[in-house]
Amino acid sequence: MVLSHSPVDPGAAPGDATGPSLRRLALDVASRIAQPTAADRDHNSRWDAHILAELTRALPTAALTGPLVPTVLGGGGLSATETLALLEGLGQGARDPGLALALGVHAVLATAPLRAFGSPRQRERYLPRMADGTWMGAVSLSQTQGTAVVQTVRVRPETAGPGGWVLTGEIDLVAAAPVAHHYLVIAEHTDGARTAFLLDRSTPGLLINAAGPAALRTCPWGRLTLDNCLLPADAVLGTVGGAVDEVEPLLAALDWVFTSAPWLGVMRALTHDAGEAAHQQRLFGQPRIHSQTTRFVLADMATQCELASGLLYRAAAEFDAGGRPSRQNAAAARLFTAAAVRVCVDSAARLSGVLALNSDDLIARAHRDALFFTESGGGPEVQRSVIAAAALGLG
Amino acid sequence: MNRSEHRADTALDFSGIASRAGETDATGHIPAQNWQDLRDSGYLRLFHSPEIGGTGADGLTQADAMEALARACPGTYWSATVSALLCAKLISTYGAPRTHERLLQSLLSGEQLAAFAVVERTAGSDASTFRTTVRPAGSRGSGFVINGEKAKITNAPCADLAVTLARRDKSPDDDGPDWCLAFVDLRQAGVRRYEIPHMGLRGMPWGGIVFTDAYVDEADVIPVPFTELAEGMAWGWIKNAFAAIAVAESALAASIRHAKERVSFGRPLAHMEGVQAQIADSRAQIDAARLLARRAMKERVAGESVRDLIAMLKVSSTEMGVQVAARAVQIHGAAGVTRGHEVERLYRDAQMNVIGGFTSNRLREQVSEGLGHGPAVYRPFDWLAPTGLGRDAAGLDGHPILNAPAS
Ligand SMILES: Cc1cc2nc3c(=O)[nH]c(=O)nc-3n(C[C@H](O)[C@H](O)[C@H](O)COP(=O)(O)OP(=O)(O)OC[C@H]3O[C@@H](n4cnc5c(N)ncnc54)[C@H](O)[C@@H]3O)c2cc1C
Repeated sequence: MVLSHSPVDPGAAPGDATGPSLRRLALDVASRIAQPTAADRDHNSRWDAHILAELTRALPTAALTGPLVPTVLGGGGLSATETLALLEGLGQGARDPGLALALGVHAVLATAPLRAFGSPRQRERYLPRMADGTWMGAVSLSQTQGTAVVQTVRVRPETAGPGGWVLTGEIDLVAAAPVAHHYLVIAEHTDGARTAFLLDRSTPGLLINAAGPAALRTCPWGRLTLDNCLLPADAVLGTVGGAVDEVEPLLAALDWVFTSAPWLGVMRALTHDAGEAAHQQRLFGQPRIHSQTTRFVLADMATQCELASGLLYRAAAEFDAGGRPSRQNAAAARLFTAAAVRVCVDSAARLSGVLALNSDDLIARAHRDALFFTESGGGPEVQRSVIAAAALGLG
Repeated sequence: MNRSEHRADTALDFSGIASRAGETDATGHIPAQNWQDLRDSGYLRLFHSPEIGGTGADGLTQADAMEALARACPGTYWSATVSALLCAKLISTYGAPRTHERLLQSLLSGEQLAAFAVVERTAGSDASTFRTTVRPAGSRGSGFVINGEKAKITNAPCADLAVTLARRDKSPDDDGPDWCLAFVDLRQAGVRRYEIPHMGLRGMPWGGIVFTDAYVDEADVIPVPFTELAEGMAWGWIKNAFAAIAVAESALAASIRHAKERVSFGRPLAHMEGVQAQIADSRAQIDAARLLARRAMKERVAGESVRDLIAMLKVSSTEMGVQVAARAVQIHGAAGVTRGHEVERLYRDAQMNVIGGFTSNRLREQVSEGLGHGPAVYRPFDWLAPTGLGRDAAGLDGHPILNAPAS
């Protein structure tokens, strides 16, 4: 039976009307500006500030560096859904999960908590400069799952001098650390309560080492060492002792949804590449694209993209709807997307060859980075617990 | 937003049908009261515009209703939806508004039930094997007769009408399509029906139809190019997808209930991380499928074809349904494989959704083609031997005869 075509348009993904065009725009811009050097920057673990500047210029005002910052504070004033679309396009066009992670951490993870819980003074001081890219904000990916993983920064009140707080400890996996102006850090009090702080780079006692995982090498990683860092009272983000209700759940949901967004784009890029490769190779004297195994793998890759897209856009839309976004839906989006990414990188590696020489090395890079992605955001253990807790009314 | 919230205002009440689901499966028969409930609920009219007697519900309302009915009783859902959605869409799309108005009325009111008869005893995936043919009964104007056998057809044993795919016995000067849809009255002498016992969806009537010079009115034979038909069939794929999602959701709900009740190692199973993982994976997979299904339904009801998206949906959701139902059986232990248990029934139902309507392999082919990879290429499997891979290896001592020691 021969059926006529009705191609699936990823631009038709749910979301507001501007989502699809922003996705497209980010894709085009990133493939022109960031993609050509992605493999090289990855090879040399290099962060290139010029690329960020060029991308920022080529996209609507503050769309990349401050999408979620209100326009009155100089931001892009985008919805969460539009931000997701932008990050998806960035991932697909740049073919650089590390760059997209650094930007996502700055533009979403470091920014949204400030918008949500910042005092008027904090918002006015930080958000305009973050939105125009003058200041980068950074967050540790080990601090986005509450205390599901162990808490490593302690805080005590400063009693001697002018008051304020003294922070001590070490934090790993700080995305964008070496290039950041400030850090969103959560610290634990002696009674176990936790508070979020804005820690400026210039704080005495703060040491920033460029150190990170062997993955996502284009993201500038760092480790922070806090040696009795004295912070003023107005460095507290939200309520003292209130992180458990305020910043922590928000960071978790933001990580699950928005750091997944570029991966949706990467999955689409891999699906595209795998199809191209299948047309070029030959197997048993025929183009490999004639092989049913190959065709089915390609069909499944495309399907995984659409399924993950549905979950991610639902979760993003919940941020736009007022109310509280459901942690269960955010966790489900990450759990499913991470599994889908593994399916896509494995399939792409099968179809194109994991060390394909004619590519920009995306498959090998994505293969390595996907391992990190799957285990970040708490990994399946944390995400499944969150979903199961909601389903079972336990936890 | 959680699902029950946005459903509340559009939900149809199928609680009666749900309460009889076990009995419907056990007896292999849809109770008359189910049909009465369906007529009363307005379900049969949801999918169509007011001009033809429908209520013109929007895509998401239709989606809600389909899932709700499929959750209540998958067998009843299949039977009703094949008739009121799939067959009525085909009649309203390809039929003539005036001529077929009464036919449509009878389906939308629930007075009559229709079957969509495409597949024959031969390979259902390959239409070139279908032989059923429509030819003129005699002189011009005296109607048509249809001959052949359709098999594996939903509603066949009890339908009043079959929307039948048939070849046209064409005169040499006829350059119209080779295929037609014939709306065949099944209550006539030239029609014999039989049932096929089946694994799941047991309440759903399923079987074959043998046409022997059965009469078809001239106005009820509509030449249709084959490629167009797939457009209509996609409604059937959506139908399967919602059946799969509903079966999975029911299986998950049963799993959650069981996990909270069953005590093992001093606490309910719900406290065991292994069980939680099964529940969480099911939750995420069902949600992903449902979101895709709702997107597809919304876009299609808004007038877009989205056929490749629906093909993706059919494959992924029906296979997901089987996975989730299998997990539910696992979580229930032996209870899950005990006859008469809800998840045992759902497990049998889930598999039916995968095969009915077009198999996964054929649909994956279609998705691949839609991605721009060209049409499927089939050739005889004769390419292995020339590569040298068609032979067993000689073994470590080489070929036994060539290397035999000279005596
Ligand atoms: C619950 C249910 C309801 C149904 N209702 C209806 C109905 O209302 N009307 C109707 O007309 N039919 C109906 N059918 C029939 C259904 O459409 C067919 O069963 C289906 O299309 C497959 O045909 P088949 O069973 O003959 O299997 P086959 O076509 O013989 O396929 C057997 C296997 O071979 C695989 N296969 C076939 N061709 C290829 C290929 N080219 N490449 C790779 N693999 C291939 C298939 O994927 C399948 O796994 C129903 C079936 C079920 C289970």
